Amino acid sequence: MAGRKGNFSVVGHSQPRLDGAEKLTGRATFTDDVVLPGMLHGKIVRSPLPRARILNIDTSAARRLPGVKAILTHADAPKVYVGIEQPLFRKDTVNYVGDEVAAVAALDEATATEAARLIRVDYEPLPAVLTMKAAQLPDAVQIHPKAKGNIAWAQNSDLGNVDDAFAASAHVRTDQYTTAASHNCYAEFHAVVADWSRPDKLSVWTPTQTALLFQKSIARALGLTDGAVRVMSLHTGGGFTGRSAARPHHFIAPLLSRQAGRPVKIRINGDEEFIVCRAGGEVQYRFRTGVSAGGLIRAFEADLSFDTGAYVESQMIVLTLTSSYIHSLYKLEAARYSGRLIHTNNIPYYFHHGGGIAQMAFGLGLHTDALAREIGLDPVEFQLRNAVTKGHTNMTGTFIGSCGLTECITKVTKKAGWKRKYGKLPPLKGIGIGVGAMASGAKGVFRHDTSAAFIKVQDDGTMSLIIGLPDMGQSSHTAMAIIAAEVLGVQPTDITVIAGDTDITPLDVGAFTQRGTFNTGNAVKAACLDARRQIEKTAAAKLGVKPARLVFRDRQIWPKGEPDKAMTFRQAVYDTLHSREGRFVMGRGFYNSPKETGTMAYSFGAQVAEVTVDPHTGIVTVDRVIAAHDVGRAINPRIVEGQIDGQIFSGMSQVLYEEMLLEDGQVMNPSRLDYKMPRSHEMPAVEHIIVESVDPFGPFGAKEVGEGPIVCTLPAIANAVANAIGAPVNDMPITPWQILRILGRSKPRDT
Amino acid sequence: MFRYVRPRDLDEAVAALAAGGDSASLLAGGTDLLVSMRQGLVAPAVVIGIRGLPELNGIGPHGEDPLRIGAGIALTDLAEHPIIVARYPALAQAARSVGSRHVRNMATLGGNLRLPTRCWYTNQSENWRASRIPCWKTDGGLCHVIKTSTTCRAINSSDTAPALLALDARLEAVSVRGRREVALADFYNDDGVNHTTLASDEIITAVLLPAARVRTLFTKATARTGLDYGYGTLAAAVTGSNRAIRSARIVAGSVGSWPVLLAHAGAIIVERGLNESAIADAAAAAREDLGEVANLFSPPGYKKRLVRGLVLQVLEQLRRQKLPVD
Amino acid sequence: MADRQFITLTVNGDRHRVPVAVQDTLVDVLRNRLGLMGTKRGCTSGACGVCTVQGDDGRAVLACLSLAVEWDGRALTTIEGVATPAGLHPVQQAFLEFGAVQCGACTPGLIMTAKALLDTNPNPDEADINEALAGALCRCTGHIKVKEAVRQAILRMAAATTEEPDGRTEG
Repeated sequence: MAGRKGNFSVVGHSQPRLDGAEKLTGRATFTDDVVLPGMLHGKIVRSPLPRARILNIDTSAARRLPGVKAILTHADAPKVYVGIEQPLFRKDTVNYVGDEVAAVAALDEATATEAARLIRVDYEPLPAVLTMKAAQLPDAVQIHPKAKGNIAWAQNSDLGNVDDAFAASAHVRTDQYTTAASHNCYAEFHAVVADWSRPDKLSVWTPTQTALLFQKSIARALGLTDGAVRVMSLHTGGGFTGRSAARPHHFIAPLLSRQAGRPVKIRINGDEEFIVCRAGGEVQYRFRTGVSAGGLIRAFEADLSFDTGAYVESQMIVLTLTSSYIHSLYKLEAARYSGRLIHTNNIPYYFHHGGGIAQMAFGLGLHTDALAREIGLDPVEFQLRNAVTKGHTNMTGTFIGSCGLTECITKVTKKAGWKRKYGKLPPLKGIGIGVGAMASGAKGVFRHDTSAAFIKVQDDGTMSLIIGLPDMGQSSHTAMAIIAAEVLGVQPTDITVIAGDTDITPLDVGAFTQRGTFNTGNAVKAACLDARRQIEKTAAAKLGVKPARLVFRDRQIWPKGEPDKAMTFRQAVYDTLHSREGRFVMGRGFYNSPKETGTMAYSFGAQVAEVTVDPHTGIVTVDRVIAAHDVGRAINPRIVEGQIDGQIFSGMSQVLYEEMLLEDGQVMNPSRLDYKMPRSHEMPAVEHIIVESVDPFGPFGAKEVGEGPIVCTLPAIANAVANAIGAPVNDMPITPWQILRILGRSKPRDT
Repeated sequence: MFRYVRPRDLDEAVAALAAGGDSASLLAGGTDLLVSMRQGLVAPAVVIGIRGLPELNGIGPHGEDPLRIGAGIALTDLAEHPIIVARYPALAQAARSVGSRHVRNMATLGGNLRLPTRCWYTNQSENWRASRIPCWKTDGGLCHVIKTSTTCRAINSSDTAPALLALDARLEAVSVRGRREVALADFYNDDGVNHTTLASDEIITAVLLPAARVRTLFTKATARTGLDYGYGTLAAAVTGSNRAIRSARIVAGSVGSWPVLLAHAGAIIVERGLNESAIADAAAAAREDLGEVANLFSPPGYKKRLVRGLVLQVLEQLRRQKLPVD
Repeated sequence: MADRQFITLTVNGDRHRVPVAVQDTLVDVLRNRLGLMGTKRGCTSGACGVCTVQGDDGRAVLACLSLAVEWDGRALTTIEGVATPAGLHPVQQAFLEFGAVQCGACTPGLIMTAKALLDTNPNPDEADINEALAGALCRCTGHIKVKEAVRQAILRMAAATTEEPDGRTEG
């Protein structure tokens, strides 16, 4: 393998994804495509009210309907919990519109739907708490007894001497922002198939970002050992952080299956998807920053309130993520974080694309931009002065081993012509910068953050790479094949990636917190090095040199400097097996970061967006986005570009379009039609700049790219809009009516 | 479940419709009916498939009318028809802005003209509606949108309607009782439930466009281009030169239960011509023509500001358009 | 139990006689009766495009809003009918090479949309491409590489049609 410069045979060269042809011809199997013998169809009965007492549940009419094979209510699963104070089915009270009350399974969907309709639930409506403000009033209804004041979780931290640092600041600014409730809107609707007809083994087919966590949570909730639960993650049609945890239907389908003695499929349709996905709730932010006379950040204070909805499962992670974010971007002396999850009778909060960090970056970018201008600094200059650099250890104890942040900012602003344009554009045209960082995996879920891999090499020179990491579209499987191919000197097309069956594939925490490339990549590398050593032994003996001298490349093996002596990779594998020892080549490896907490590496990025605002309609057009991203090393450059593209789309969508409108706890726009996301026409021209800072710990120097870009897009576009209208914006999404309201209020901008 | 019938011609179709009474639905493109049926908003006993009926096809001159457009024309074909594009661009633009190309390949002009009004309290699944008390549209006695309203305030989101209203088109409707023509201006009601004057046994068979050397334009303000109902639409048709406007019909769509003819705005243009100051005043007057606006899909304050902005935009573009030649 | 009637439906050139219920859509028939899972079930209300098939006139059609009984005696093409034993269709090949496939859930719908566009309009401009794609949701790619792939497919398909029948290119 080559050194820092990167004379790689495979890594760094754009490859088509290995499962592309399958997906392009309609042969890729998604969960809704699974059909099993005797399979039934399930439907869930949900609360229509945001808060109510359950007076009675009458399932008798449903039971009499021919074709109904299973019915569940709380009485059938009293000990099954899916979250804190959240039993699978409600017994006494329902706490949000959509809360699960009962479920049925029947021979076909129409019968299941009819049966669900026939289940009669009598409710006594109770006063509901629908805003964070209402939830925090002294006489507010307590949604859960243990969450005093409706605070489900709180996290506070002080690093450094915060009050002193503010006092010593030459300038202090405070801003407030909100981001709206939102939804992931993946192309694949939620579905699950469960087969618990065998009492000793439960099989579950589902899209997921983490088969391991699904396996564990399903096992724990249903009182099984991990090994009794087999999770098969088929092709996953988009994750965007929203498929990192099992949902109630993942527990309901197995229970229906056990009662019926047959497999059960639950497919979430239409508006139900907006309840089940539960991406982001409303968040309120207050940022306060103190800077020196030269514009260096001394102190930073963040106060965040999350509408966490009716229940808490694992959402407290977002407090950890948002509390540490500032330290990944800037050097500072002191920081205070106060964050809280507040219960309301709205849909439970879960993650949207950007994991809470991108949404925070919306306000943070606007805040630092405004601060810069207030002290007479160009916003780009402000970012450059404060950006973290390589070798810095931040206040959370993370050592920054590689850092291309400054390079990203410099390159992107140069390409955008920032100096020519900033402050010089005509009214209603704007330019804005957004910077971002993203951890490449981080510890916090378990004590470990392990990924493991096996590689099985056949005597025809092809191999199977067996990993536990799902591919939800980010092309992780192809990236792993590229890493494997580089180590063993073959082509990615020689490798079959096998993933997504917890009975077979090794442990992997999963594809979230952007850990795939880094963690699983390192595990794959370790496994392939193990296999390589086995082959080296044979080749070294055959070629008469020490193993360390061997080069593996282009499906050949030769002593360094003597390519004329090459033997084929295939021959070496063949000889290893067809020997007296009869050694079958199998490699294994795992990776667990040596850190106790936090991340081994951040990716960094900067984007510049240019927008035009229509003063008659308030509609914003994003004209151009230039994106620079430090990915450490681009394993597959075309995929990196595709990730950047997709995240710019997603970021633009959140800043300007997406809003889950809740009224009385109910989603008013629960469809792909009324929940607004842009389409092809709205996409701006995008230019990519890939920066490679070659991380010392990442596989071949690679870091994440799965969420770093979107963190930059939100502030870049937000700042561009504020620049275009010459007035602050504080609420996301920046809707046309918000724009017209602001334009109607503010004076014409001085050019 | 419903019964499906497929008449071979218009006579059979109207007979089936008459026999079906209030529980028969016409199926042309299906892009709206199937969604409504799935949501349980309509549960016909009989579905009459009229796609491809020969009498609903055809586009060409017809007696004294320069153009008769069969109501069965797919919106894709309407948007691309050379005569429409050349002589009635507002109609082509309107047709082209409906849904997506996928939808336009299936949906018809007749279907779009009859498009039921929309409201986010009713255009939802049955399970969703179970959270709400029934309203005027769902056999109840109140309006969730404007609480004091004695009628349904759901919004008419047809795009071809405002364009054709600006063009002062007529419709041809056929039933077992015979054939009649109705001006589009008399076709819509300001009522979210009974939103047209079409009888339950009538089929719209054609749209008739009058003779006029007319400058027209249609625009739609949407969150995104494609697959979106508008926050507001505006269609305008003027005859005469900028200094001597003979008629100015300006219509706002997707802001009320019917397409709204902005009469005051139009009167200002006729009186003063198409110039910057008259346009500005017309735009301001448009707000008054709107009346009370419902808080559906976007805030009412926005809708009013939007219509004003669209009037400015559209009239300014028309002012700069060359006069049409025969 | 709903009454069944039979329709004759030609899918990808194969003529089928299929029992259908009156409320079945083409999505139900293709997936549940004919086992062709490539056409996906999405929003089922016409807003996402993952159910796109190509009608007998070559145009893109939404299978979820098409009643099966209306298709008696007609023909359509699904994603399974796009590639041939010789290989991928130029649109599919371009998507593969240009990185226009990520999670794959929208891919069949996008391929059918792009194919329908190019079959009915071999030389679309940027506005035509955007217009056609507007009906198909893609959450992963941001449409950028999708459009690059479509533009490439246009060139390749045009080049293919200028070949002589025996495979020689002109000039």
